[in-house]
Amino acid sequence: MVLSQKLHEAFKGTVERITGPRTVSAFREKGVLSVSEFILAGDNLVSKCPTWSWEAGEPSRRKSYLPPEKQFLITRNVPCLRRAASIEEEYESAGGEILVDNEDNDGWLATHGKPKDKCEEDDNLPSMESLEISKKSTVVSISNHFGGEDEEDIPDMEGYDEPECLIETDPATLQSTYLVAHEPDDDNILRTRTYDVSITYDKYYQTPRVWLTGYDESRMLLQPEHVLEDVSQDHARKTVTIEDHPHLPGKHASIHPCRHGAVMKKIIDVLVSRGVEPEVYKYLFLFLKFVASVIPTIEYDYTMDFDLGSSSS
Amino acid sequence: MGEKGSGSILQFAPFQSSVDEGFWHRLSSLKLNKLGIDDSPIPITGFYAPCSYSQVSNYLTVITESLPSDSDEQSSMAVISHGSRNRCSVPGILYNTNTLESFHAIDKLSLLKKEAKKIWEDIHSGEAVDDSRVLSRFLLISFADLKKWSFRYWFAFPALVLDPPATLVDLRPASKWFSLQEAESVSAACNEWRNSRLTADVPFFLVSIAADSQATIRHLKDWEACQGDGQKLLFGFYDPCHLQNNPGWPLRNFLALIFSRWNIKSVRFLCYKENRGYADMGLSLVGKALITVPQGWKENRRVPDAVGWELNNKGRTVSRSIILAKSMDPTMLAVSAA
Repeated sequence: MVLSQKLHEAFKGTVERITGPRTVSAFREKGVLSVSEFILAGDNLVSKCPTWSWEAGEPSRRKSYLPPEKQFLITRNVPCLRRAASIEEEYESAGGEILVDNEDNDGWLATHGKPKDKCEEDDNLPSMESLEISKKSTVVSISNHFGGEDEEDIPDMEGYDEPECLIETDPATLQSTYLVAHEPDDDNILRTRTYDVSITYDKYYQTPRVWLTGYDESRMLLQPEHVLEDVSQDHARKTVTIEDHPHLPGKHASIHPCRHGAVMKKIIDVLVSRGVEPEVYKYLFLFLKFVASVIPTIEYDYTMDFDLGSSSS
Repeated sequence: MGEKGSGSILQFAPFQSSVDEGFWHRLSSLKLNKLGIDDSPIPITGFYAPCSYSQVSNYLTVITESLPSDSDEQSSMAVISHGSRNRCSVPGILYNTNTLESFHAIDKLSLLKKEAKKIWEDIHSGEAVDDSRVLSRFLLISFADLKKWSFRYWFAFPALVLDPPATLVDLRPASKWFSLQEAESVSAACNEWRNSRLTADVPFFLVSIAADSQATIRHLKDWEACQGDGQKLLFGFYDPCHLQNNPGWPLRNFLALIFSRWNIKSVRFLCYKENRGYADMGLSLVGKALITVPQGWKENRRVPDAVGWELNNKGRTVSRSIILAKSMDPTMLAVSAA
């Protein structure tokens, strides 16, 4: 972590300690959530998209302002078939400028169609500087201190192959390349990864915050730098940072929440201007739809075809 | 996809493991603060769920809460982890050795047999009918190098071997085996089963379909009650595997149970899978297996052979390792925090 980010974290931590959690709703005015609204929206997400669950996390890291069994939301083993980085290369070679395939031309999605401009406005946001990773280095292998079974480790492992007792010749075991998940026929494919995507409540920004834990095809932990390959490259170098997860051990990639309130406010304004009454319990659906522009290839569930407004249930 | 010719060997897609970083953190702190050099086996809990995306299989995952807490403060966590639809618990056992040498010296065959014997005994005692999770009992061996913060480990998912192996005479998407009405009713019944806190994490069950196409999901212990009313009866299980041509690993010990307990040699099974959290009869499979082992196979006195050490993605049986110095080593943490 760079120093400015450290300082900011220390500042944020102090503020979080001395201020109480938000209790008055400012959803319409600021696009933020109170703690009880976060629980409400989380309950709704879990009931509509059952791949999401509430979890308790590390007891030692429990936040007292959240119910013990509802500390954060998580969906595990979400497939990510393509690297966002490689998709963008396709776009660039095709002369495209917009990163996210915006299949529905709804105005509200367009408000955040190019979030990079917004981020560039905030030059002095501390966490933005933390990832000066060149585009090159996100695509090639970074020497691996963190992750699991990297390339160098494999010969080591095979040295320990113990054929004497473990040749299991069992005709009923599927021997083929069962681990190779189904992948689209495409030259730009790297490998199918899976993600655990979690959502925590950020007390300082009063918004949800998304965390990514990536695994390679053998379900070995990816070091967070590799996770950046699955982040829209504009965000990988700006809004996605690698930090300590508030409830889980280890370093995880996270979409920095500094702009979440403002973006959500814009989405809400667009809804209102279209005569739709935004409802706070649907906050996380709107939020996850917006997050999909940052991690376009991680196929987590946020039920695309739900009703945005109160016009129907 | 589609039907297999009659008489092909029923092949099961192996279970795959996944370890959350938190598991190693807690194991390290257990080792440092509580266990010391005590290397007796530790009961742990693994979790899995039915396959919920068509492109990737689900894993048997161990997480922080898989291990007992190192403080004696009995948290409510253990209670919470039950009844969760995305975390169906499976009992496991961890052998953590004190040295790399003893890790390699572990007699893996006999350890696997020992776990397989527990499964076999649970089948014969009826325990596996009352609490079907014990059918997927697993084994983990590890060596935690707390100087380098590296962990070597290996999972085994013991499976009782039918000899000769079962044959597969039919396997197709459930939507093609059920009538439209039946498929709708089975989906609704499965969704209800998965939404109830009482049954969400019960991974083996019976699907009975009445003459009017109405499906009911029942516990295994209700097998006797399902007999004799002319229904279609299927043996269902949460299938973690995404493949369309092979059922997943949990069916293996389930078949052993079905044959040993109820003497059924022609088994109609349902590989239950979901799409984004809801029953999906297009991804779920219905198959028919014929069990041809000699009648004496199911006698209690001799435990069948077992297989199940996890293969790597090249199909080899080797241990795995992970280095977590960057997030665990106090020196490296101090450097990165400076």
